[in-house]
Amino acid sequence: MSDDAATKIDPAAHPPQHFILSTLSPSATQTRLALAVVCGILVVFSLLTVGPLKGLHLERVDAFVPAYVTTMFICDFITALLLHAQFAIVRTRAILLVASAYLFAALVMIPFILVFPGVFVADRGLVGGMQSTSWVYFFQHAGFPLFILAYALLKDRDYGQRSRQGEAVRDIAVSVATTIAIVAGGALLFIEGAPLLLQVTTDSMHFGPLWWYPATGVLLLNAAAITVLWSRRRVALDLWLLVVMFLYVVEIPLSYYPDPRRFSSGWYAVRGFGVLASGIVLMLLIHEIATLYGRLLRAVNAQHREREARLMTGDAVAASIAHEVKQPLTAMVTAADAGLRFLDRSTPNVDKAKDAFRRIVADGHRAGEVVDTLRATFRNDARERTSLDLNELIQESLALGRNEFQRHGIVVHTESNRPLLEVRANRVQLQQVLLNLIMNAVDAMATRDEPRILSVKSEASPGDSVIVSVADTGTGIGAHDVDHIFDPLYSTKSNGMGMGLSICRAIIEAHQGRLWFAPNTPRGAVFRFTLQSNPAVLA
Amino acid sequence: MTDASRLVIAAIDDDESILWSVGHLLESADYAARLFTSATEFLASDCLPEIDCLISDIDMPAIDGFELARLVHAARPSLPTILVTGYPDTLKRLPAAGKSVSSVLTKPFHGPELLAAVENAVRRCP
Repeated sequence: MSDDAATKIDPAAHPPQHFILSTLSPSATQTRLALAVVCGILVVFSLLTVGPLKGLHLERVDAFVPAYVTTMFICDFITALLLHAQFAIVRTRAILLVASAYLFAALVMIPFILVFPGVFVADRGLVGGMQSTSWVYFFQHAGFPLFILAYALLKDRDYGQRSRQGEAVRDIAVSVATTIAIVAGGALLFIEGAPLLLQVTTDSMHFGPLWWYPATGVLLLNAAAITVLWSRRRVALDLWLLVVMFLYVVEIPLSYYPDPRRFSSGWYAVRGFGVLASGIVLMLLIHEIATLYGRLLRAVNAQHREREARLMTGDAVAASIAHEVKQPLTAMVTAADAGLRFLDRSTPNVDKAKDAFRRIVADGHRAGEVVDTLRATFRNDARERTSLDLNELIQESLALGRNEFQRHGIVVHTESNRPLLEVRANRVQLQQVLLNLIMNAVDAMATRDEPRILSVKSEASPGDSVIVSVADTGTGIGAHDVDHIFDPLYSTKSNGMGMGLSICRAIIEAHQGRLWFAPNTPRGAVFRFTLQSNPAVLA
Repeated sequence: MTDASRLVIAAIDDDESILWSVGHLLESADYAARLFTSATEFLASDCLPEIDCLISDIDMPAIDGFELARLVHAARPSLPTILVTGYPDTLKRLPAAGKSVSSVLTKPFHGPELLAAVENAVRRCP
């Protein structure tokens, strides 16, 4: 059953889960998507280097640079913000390194635009020298993989270690300050030290052959980060970081081939790859947030429905009790009226009146019994629990229904994953619940011609609980009845049990258990309830 | 009063005590009572053509009072049908029943109340 199809919360089917990106394994779809992105990158790369787009000439657009830098800055900054927020929740320091990587990438954009020739001042950067732009670019493309390399090396070791609540804020402050210092230091070095830098560009537009020395270093760093991360990849975040690093690797040769020049088709493509690299993790985070939000809404709705159902159960019990008491009272009042009328005749019919009064006496006793039963059900000693074997109780209850099974040609299956299933419960009440569910199943199958199979399954499940299911192949529960099944009006049984599903639910809840139902396949209904198993016996 | 002149009233209730008491009350008012513990039993009995009024409980398994009233109304539109219920909430469903139901009483009802309803019903349709 998928999450969406579940109308009732099944406590066994929803173990607590971490939905955080950094702890989730990538789904098959995500892996395929990542592969598709990598293939797409390779296609674009080949088109531009050896394919038909090789000779493509593009115009220099000066406004492109600020637009590109702004986009990169905003994407990386938001990603860093979200990752820091995630660190505040999961508090594994490895995540903080990825957050720092993105903060670094965002902040480096500031010196990058300041030194880029032609943005603020014609043909040169606002600050720094002619070599500064390429070196800031190398700085960014070396710094980011270094952070990721540190993340890859630290993530497994760090996984079990979490910083304490108060330390998280301190850790964030320290890492943000360090990142700012690194960027500031690098910017200072490449701006103030511009005259000392290796001549990687020949003018404000063209890259020279020396460009390859730092570029090779950057390539090797990225390759190292990819190798380490690949060998330790485990979660969705790792997968997408690998794609990001792959983009970084492809950028380097594409900047030089086939045209080692700014504003060439390769250069524009590299900027496009940069935006893609910057956006990938952000999109993943946003997707994750949207998914979490959807789940949260569904959970809140389910909780709301459950609370309403529980309130209704209280009303249902009250209405059932009122009805049980009203029945004999109605009979008594009616019989008394009949008796009076027979006596009021001109020639009183004493025999008939006597009949009526005998009936009143009998119904009076019956009303008393109803009250006694109710008191027994809700009296304090009804909460007295004894240790009992649930499998034995199921067999006893099925034995009581044997005549009914024979009469309707019902085949009974029982199944249990333990020979002995001890629970602490009120024996009489629990038997009432079982009988009620069994008889409901019989009634549901009595009117159908298909094979009639009653399956009663009991199983010890992890977490000290026991689940009992009573499944039938009967008429099932119609869509309209789903919301009313625990209403007194829905329960129209008159087989002498004197209690409906609402009381069954009240009994199970008094045992700290839960009672719910689901459709059976291919037809019919399954009622399930949970009970706490007896820990002393299972231990 | 001879048997032939007595009006025949069918009563249906899955609670046997109430059914007996209603039968006794009808008898005290000189009606001939036909008693059934389920709608199915009544429908299988062939007594539908001979009765002058039908009294049925609403809350019964299989065929409930409203369903029975609908079935009976389809076969004998002029037959008055009185429904009784122990669940006042059931009355919400009354408007949907339309003309198939003459009146509804809630349990516990008074004997004179039921007899008045019967008398009113049979007088209205000769």
